[in-house]
Amino acid sequence: MRQAAFTLHANVLAALRGEANDRSVGGLVLLATLAIAGYGAAMGSFGALYGGSMWQIAFAAIKSPLLIGVTFGLTLPSFVVLHLLLGLRQDLRDVIHSLLSAQVAVAVTLLSVSPLTLLWYLSVPRYESAILFNAAMFALASVAAQRPLRARYRPLIRRNPLHGRLLRVWLGVYAFVGIQMGWVLRPFIGKPFAPAEFLRPEKWDNAYVIVAGLVWRTLFGSGF
Amino acid sequence: MIYALRRLEQLLRGEATALPNLTNDRFDLPVGGLSIVLIGLGMIYGACMGLFSLTGSGSGQGMQIVASTVKTPVLFLATIAVTFPSLYVFNAMFGSHLKLMPMLKLMIGALAVTLAVLSSIGPIVGFFGVSSTSYPFMVLLNVVVFAIAGVLGLGFLLQTLHRMDLANRPEPGRPTEPPPLQGEAQDSPTVGSPLSFPDGRATNGSVWGVFKVWIIVFGLVGAQMAWVLRPFIGSPHKPFTWFRPAGGNFYESVTAQIGKLLGTW
Repeated sequence: MRQAAFTLHANVLAALRGEANDRSVGGLVLLATLAIAGYGAAMGSFGALYGGSMWQIAFAAIKSPLLIGVTFGLTLPSFVVLHLLLGLRQDLRDVIHSLLSAQVAVAVTLLSVSPLTLLWYLSVPRYESAILFNAAMFALASVAAQRPLRARYRPLIRRNPLHGRLLRVWLGVYAFVGIQMGWVLRPFIGKPFAPAEFLRPEKWDNAYVIVAGLVWRTLFGSGF
Repeated sequence: MIYALRRLEQLLRGEATALPNLTNDRFDLPVGGLSIVLIGLGMIYGACMGLFSLTGSGSGQGMQIVASTVKTPVLFLATIAVTFPSLYVFNAMFGSHLKLMPMLKLMIGALAVTLAVLSSIGPIVGFFGVSSTSYPFMVLLNVVVFAIAGVLGLGFLLQTLHRMDLANRPEPGRPTEPPPLQGEAQDSPTVGSPLSFPDGRATNGSVWGVFKVWIIVFGLVGAQMAWVLRPFIGSPHKPFTWFRPAGGNFYESVTAQIGKLLGTW
């Protein structure tokens, strides 16, 4: 038990520092899943704190790892094919390990700020500010994880500068899919006094079409 | 089948088109096995594309997904069949040394790259298909994905044409005996990517000429073929048919879809 805790701590530190080590992929995935689920539980507690249902906590804890995991899984095939095509087959293992440890870094950062989220919920009882605070925490974790990701990528880029460009492509595609995934998997936070729901009952829609429509209406008035 | 899949991987990794393997007009590619793999890859993407029709905001007709799955491989194979004769003639006109079989293999190879990229983006398109309600968005997303796959496939084509030109140009000191292509044994980092210029040598003028003709013919025929074989996604307001009546064209439609996407806001 003690030994396992030590290994876990060492693995987390390695992911945060961007150090390469030969952990198993399964261990990385498990670690990221648990940490994100932990943050999800904190995120979903808003409704419960203000008279909502406790179920939202469980739903958010299940959905948050799905958000990251499914997005990652959807972007992986095209990324692998691009590496084959651009002659980077021999680096593929390192690349996937780097991306996975970046996910661990995001997850652990989120988990580490979850007490802050709870404190925020207790001090500001407004749904909109809860949404904004969570968005800020996700942004913070994503920006923070860039550091270990860059560190892991440095030797790869030194071997072939193409890796740098591919990483930017991947981040772009990941964000493109991730934003829509977050939209589809709403609600994460849960409105107070609203019944708990796993997914919103209304029809799914496209986040980009809605946001572009909002921007368009703001700039040019209604309609096209 | 497994063999064909492994050859596809070699193709994507650039081993099949590495310089030493292209001498004497030799272009080692199992056309039959690879064609089956290509059909499978096309079907994967077709199914992902057709997913939109199953949702409430699509046409809601399940046959669309079957039709897309069948029609996507047909789209590519028909494009090859239609363009092959004219491309072969143009090729000869531009003074290329390419013979019939190597050229067919070259086109199958480029198709394999295109379809591999396409089907690897398939899950993303499928996800947006399931979660979106906007038909114009789906049309434009598919156009963009096809464009990405097409550009990479054409990049492969250009590089392989260039390499075949290099490999068959008489030059002193070049080993004439091609080393045998081995399975996994050729895992050396010296094998360049299938998209990079070998030895940094610039592309020959006639290769560029041939390539420009190919781009134009492929682009025009491919887009029109897709138009003739439509619907692939299934408009939410029209009943399911295997084919739509003739009329209109691809470019006009894409412009109209952009307009509609703006109009819905």
